[in-house]
Amino acid sequence: MKVLAAGVVPLLLVLHWKHGAGTPLPITPVNATCATRHPCHSNLMNQIRNQLAQLNGSANALFILYYTAQGEPFPNNLDKLCGPNVTDFPPFHANGTEKTRLVELYRIIAYLGASLGNITRDQKVLNPNALSLHSKLNATADILRGLLSNVLCRLCNKYHVAHVDVAYGPDTSGKDVFQKKKLGCQLLGKYKQVIAVVAQAF
Amino acid sequence: MTSVLLPLCERNPEPMALFSVSQTAFLLAFLSLRTYQSEGLSEPLPWAPESLKVSVNTTCQCLHLQWTVHNLAHHQEFRMVFQIEISRIKTSNVIWVENYTTTVKWNQVLHWSWESKLPLECAKHFIRMRSAVDAAKTPGPRVWSSWSSWEEADVQNSLGQDPLFIFPKDKLVEEGSNVTICYVSKSHQNNISCYLEGVRMQGEQLDPNVSVFNLNHVAFIRETGTNIYCKPGQGDGIKGTVLFVSKVLQEPKDFSCETQDFMTLNCTWDPGSDTGLLKQLSQSYTLFESFSGKKTLCKPKSWCLWQVAPESQDMYNFTLTAENYLRKRSVHLLFNLTHRVHPMAPFNILFKNVSATSATMTWKVHSIGKYYTLLCQVELYGEGKVTQHNVSVKVDGAHLFSGLEPDTEYLAQVRCANGDYFWKWSEWTHQNFTTAEAAPSEAPDVWRNVKTVQGRCVVTLFWKPLSKPQAHGKILFYNIVIEYLDRTSVSEVLSIPAPASGTELPLNQCSSQIRITASNSVGTSPASVLVVSREPGNEEVEEERVKGTEDGFPLSWNPQPRHVTGYLVEWCEQPRDPPCDLQWKNLGPNVTSTVVSSDAFRPGVRYNFRIYGISTERVPYLLARKTGYSQELAPSDNPQVVMTNLTSHSFTLSWKNYSTESQTSFIQGYHVYLKSKAGRCHSGSEKAVLSDDVVCCKYKIDNPEQKTFVVENLQPESFYEFLVTPYTSVGEGPHDAFAKVTTPDEYSPTLIRILLPTVFCILLIMITCYLKSQWMKEKCYPDIPDPYKSSVLSLIKSKENPHLTIMNIKDCVPDSIEVLNKQEGTRKSLTETESTKPTYLYLLPTEKRYSSPGPCICFENFTYNQAASDSASCGHVPVPPKAPPSQLGLLTSPENLLKALEKNYMNSLGEIPAGETSLNYVSQLASPMSGDMSNLPTNPPEPALCSEYKMQMAIPLGLASPPSSGSSSLSSITLLDEGEHYH
Repeated sequence: MKVLAAGVVPLLLVLHWKHGAGTPLPITPVNATCATRHPCHSNLMNQIRNQLAQLNGSANALFILYYTAQGEPFPNNLDKLCGPNVTDFPPFHANGTEKTRLVELYRIIAYLGASLGNITRDQKVLNPNALSLHSKLNATADILRGLLSNVLCRLCNKYHVAHVDVAYGPDTSGKDVFQKKKLGCQLLGKYKQVIAVVAQAF
Repeated sequence: MTSVLLPLCERNPEPMALFSVSQTAFLLAFLSLRTYQSEGLSEPLPWAPESLKVSVNTTCQCLHLQWTVHNLAHHQEFRMVFQIEISRIKTSNVIWVENYTTTVKWNQVLHWSWESKLPLECAKHFIRMRSAVDAAKTPGPRVWSSWSSWEEADVQNSLGQDPLFIFPKDKLVEEGSNVTICYVSKSHQNNISCYLEGVRMQGEQLDPNVSVFNLNHVAFIRETGTNIYCKPGQGDGIKGTVLFVSKVLQEPKDFSCETQDFMTLNCTWDPGSDTGLLKQLSQSYTLFESFSGKKTLCKPKSWCLWQVAPESQDMYNFTLTAENYLRKRSVHLLFNLTHRVHPMAPFNILFKNVSATSATMTWKVHSIGKYYTLLCQVELYGEGKVTQHNVSVKVDGAHLFSGLEPDTEYLAQVRCANGDYFWKWSEWTHQNFTTAEAAPSEAPDVWRNVKTVQGRCVVTLFWKPLSKPQAHGKILFYNIVIEYLDRTSVSEVLSIPAPASGTELPLNQCSSQIRITASNSVGTSPASVLVVSREPGNEEVEEERVKGTEDGFPLSWNPQPRHVTGYLVEWCEQPRDPPCDLQWKNLGPNVTSTVVSSDAFRPGVRYNFRIYGISTERVPYLLARKTGYSQELAPSDNPQVVMTNLTSHSFTLSWKNYSTESQTSFIQGYHVYLKSKAGRCHSGSEKAVLSDDVVCCKYKIDNPEQKTFVVENLQPESFYEFLVTPYTSVGEGPHDAFAKVTTPDEYSPTLIRILLPTVFCILLIMITCYLKSQWMKEKCYPDIPDPYKSSVLSLIKSKENPHLTIMNIKDCVPDSIEVLNKQEGTRKSLTETESTKPTYLYLLPTEKRYSSPGPCICFENFTYNQAASDSASCGHVPVPPKAPPSQLGLLTSPENLLKALEKNYMNSLGEIPAGETSLNYVSQLASPMSGDMSNLPTNPPEPALCSEYKMQMAIPLGLASPPSSGSSSLSSITLLDEGEHYH
């Protein structure tokens, strides 16, 4: 049993961080058993709140760094090129129960993690000299990874949720350069908008 | 429009045998074809193209054509021409016609590609072709087959549902090339604008939904590409593409190969600019050697290592190829390996047998084979000089440096090259060394200053430190030996540690010889000898002026008739700041002029030079004195002027403290400026206009030692401003501080001369009067005036009546005094009472009574008044018991007198009690009355009611009024007016 439980979280993480692909996870029935590899921190919600605040605090800077690095027309056409028009972005309801909010947060983090991975990969090729952008993208991905682990811990410990269906954004690897830049900008615009709401909700 | 022809199938040459067979078959076929043509042209050509297929490659924007030739017999092979037509949008719009010639075999599928400049997504394209046998070698017109049907290439149908597309996507081009961009709008919007890096592009409409933009000579902007985007007038559907502009690949420059050890060849080149992009890696370099047929890919961009073959290959023929996605460039290099030897730098440099003047250097070299000799170049740097030597070396090198300077650091370096075939020098290898010390070679340059302190000679010695080439090491001591010339004193020896540059020596006797030497760790320098003479020298030499130049002070002097061993010029470099930094310059015996220059010379500073001749006995004597400025500056300050002797017409100016020696230039004189309202200038002055356009008078003083000046011809009570400024050959002092003065009134001094003594005298008199007031009182206005002493008397006597005299007491008849004692109540009437009382008449002068103008001054006789003062029974005016001195004095004013009387009278009325016993006075001149007074008649005449006092002095008749008739029988004279009588 321990061996089985120890493999759940790494498996989840591996699946989630695969760029542009992933297998949807079904929500575990309430009565299903759920265990984590390491014991969750007692002050888990505070950690989640702090991580959300940290992400919220850096989201705008990341957005600005991104569209500045893409060059014209991005900085001067933010509404048309970087508007938060991400249709398949997971929803979030701030007035839901904590369990609902945590499940939705889990989906959002999973979606963002995959998209941020695509963006990071693309920008290393498209803008190899934008080191500060790369650094910011990596730092954000690190926080998202920790947040995902904490949310899963919380879901598992308190609500016995071991599996959540998640969805991912489109894979940009086959798209042309301009489209890659635009999709990345839209995603970061959406991220900046959503993370503010989520951070407020917790 | 350009195109790229890519005959993909016809690259390999046919074997010669097959070619001969084919040629024979071709000729037979051609003959049959000509026959066929001559029989009927309406028949179609049997080898027409068929099965034409068109495909589109959007990555390279290429149309690929694929077809076969109809009816080609087995083993038949022709050289055919295919004419290909390409139309755009519609078939009639032919944009490209090309003849493609190739050899056609049986059952062969032919290919042809065409790259479109316009992105293929932007428009439909139509392609057709026809064929002909290539009959270039045969005369006559070419016979074409019929056209194939039009094949359509349309990519727009597969674009998708987006409203706007931009093409091409992520295109890679070279800098400077031309690019065509287009957009395809599916929303039928016409107001779509497109931009290149934010700058709007102007395009042309290709069809209602497609616009084309031609970009000429595109420039490299950045490695991450150039953003091109279009946005519709409505909606937010911005679409874009990225154009990657690569720098043009350059041919490698300075391609060169060399070896250091005959093991490897190091080939280097200048790669030029990097053409790396997101869509294209940086150019790659490949090295190919044709003799060996070897090839290597060079990972570094600017150099490559090639392993030398173990077998003896002397000649190498390299081809360096640079290649990127768009272009390929090559350079070639052919050389003999032994001619490209670049030895490694020598090593292990050592110095042996280092002395004060020589040293031996040894070094080792890396061997390049026993058959080769190295040529080494040795350089020596020291004391600002470079010497160079060449040495042939097999294994170890050595070289002797000679003629070196003692105690000097040198830098030695060596490099080597192939001595048989020079190619390149190796890198330098260098090492420092220092030669040993030696005894100083020169005597120190010494000078002295002699002064007498308390009758004893004190010599201050100065010497200049030896230069490095002279010192030959570090100077440790300066040795001084004093030898007294008269041999009466023992010689003295002193040792002054370095780095002292002077010392002060009190001498026992002035006449002495001083020897100074410098010592280092090895030895002692030659001695420098100075003789101090008892004679002071020719100090009366007149000072001359010298003008400095940019090069210094040119000094000259007369050659001396007596033999001299040299001359010496001394001066102070800091004449204003003691100690003055004494400097000197030694000159040869044949020199009579020199230029003294120094970086310490400053403009506006006066330098004094003294030129000495040095006798054969080493005794210096003064020849000349010079003074001058390296550059004269206009005076910066004016003298402090003191004004004295100010009168109404002149004043004196004085500036005694002004030193002409310490100024910034030679003072030639002074200008005195005088400003006045009148503006007139008197003789001796001239009008001058100052910088502020103020006109004033200028007095000129030509003598710089005249430091007083009297300004004359001034107007009294006038305002003047004056300024004294020195003038020099380079200008005057500043005109900024005019002093102000106002001349006094012309009479004021005289008045002061009179008024001051007068006031003094008055004050003296007042003080005297105050101190001698008692005496003055007694003299001038005593309480009891002495008639004899009265000045009034003398005045009256002298002016009015010389016969007026003072009545003498002995001349008076003594009066009889009656004492009456009578009761008051017995009085019955006023008349009776009055008649019974003795009357009292006080004689007073009144002006009104005088008919004549002369005053009459009377004196009251207090002898009687005292007796009668207490008697007031009759109400007559009493005499006050104590009259103030002022009232008792000279009563020349009748008003004063009247007032006094009136006052006393009023007092008397209230104070005197009635009915008291009183002592009455009876006039001496009255008729004698004997017996009791009660016996007096009851109605006596009124004037005789009281006893009257007759004046006790003789009164001139003219002054007295005659008595009125019937009023009185008495002879007494009444001086009072009747209306003023008090009863």
